[in-house]
Amino acid sequence: MSVTNTVLIYVGIPALIVLVIAGLGMVGGGGRGTPRYRPGRPFDFTPVWFLSSPEQVSPGAEAAALPAGGQRRELTGGTENEGTPVAARGTGGASDRW
Amino acid sequence: MTAGELTAPSLSGRPEVLDGPFSTRQLLRIDEALRLADESTDYIFSIYVGDLEEPVREHAERLHGQITEPDRAVLIAVSPNQRRLEVVTGAEVRKRIPDRDAKLAALSMVASFGGGDLAGGLVTGLDQLASRARKG
Repeated sequence: MSVTNTVLIYVGIPALIVLVIAGLGMVGGGGRGTPRYRPGRPFDFTPVWFLSSPEQVSPGAEAAALPAGGQRRELTGGTENEGTPVAARGTGGASDRW
Repeated sequence: MTAGELTAPSLSGRPEVLDGPFSTRQLLRIDEALRLADESTDYIFSIYVGDLEEPVREHAERLHGQITEPDRAVLIAVSPNQRRLEVVTGAEVRKRIPDRDAKLAALSMVASFGGGDLAGGLVTGLDQLASRARKG
């Protein structure tokens, strides 16, 4: 077996395999656009408010949240004062932190 | 209309909700959980994810007050950056979900959030609250 053959078999083939696997890894992992939340690190995102049906938000709030033809229906953090808030009477629930 | 459809595509063709903290798959899971919770209990479940102003509890209660029938609504407000969770239940819901049970759901949500899993925690919490409201 010549030197060229030896090099090709023992260096060329492993290198090829490494490259193929690395390539597959890059293709598979590069597609994730959503940033991941890691507790304790700053996390930059648009605030979202989910309701199973948007008409459940009081009219004032929805109008404030829909400036131009229904661009977005979930409310951002700044719009709550323009709604028609009902005085929180007898609300319950729980608070926690992590 | 469901949570996944809440936003119309913006000018770039990319729905703004995708700039939020969740991927499409997570949005679908949350959407499904919200829908099931609403259908099975005839209460209104709602999730807010974003920064809350101090005092955090009052801000969450203001948001809760904006839902059309606050007495029959449950709001789960999460602020990942402040690491705060507030569960607000309306006066009527409170009869079915006592504060103790809300706290229990909050604990399991916080456990997931602490591990970095926002969507998973929300789905678990919704499921717990809804099953509590169902049983009465």
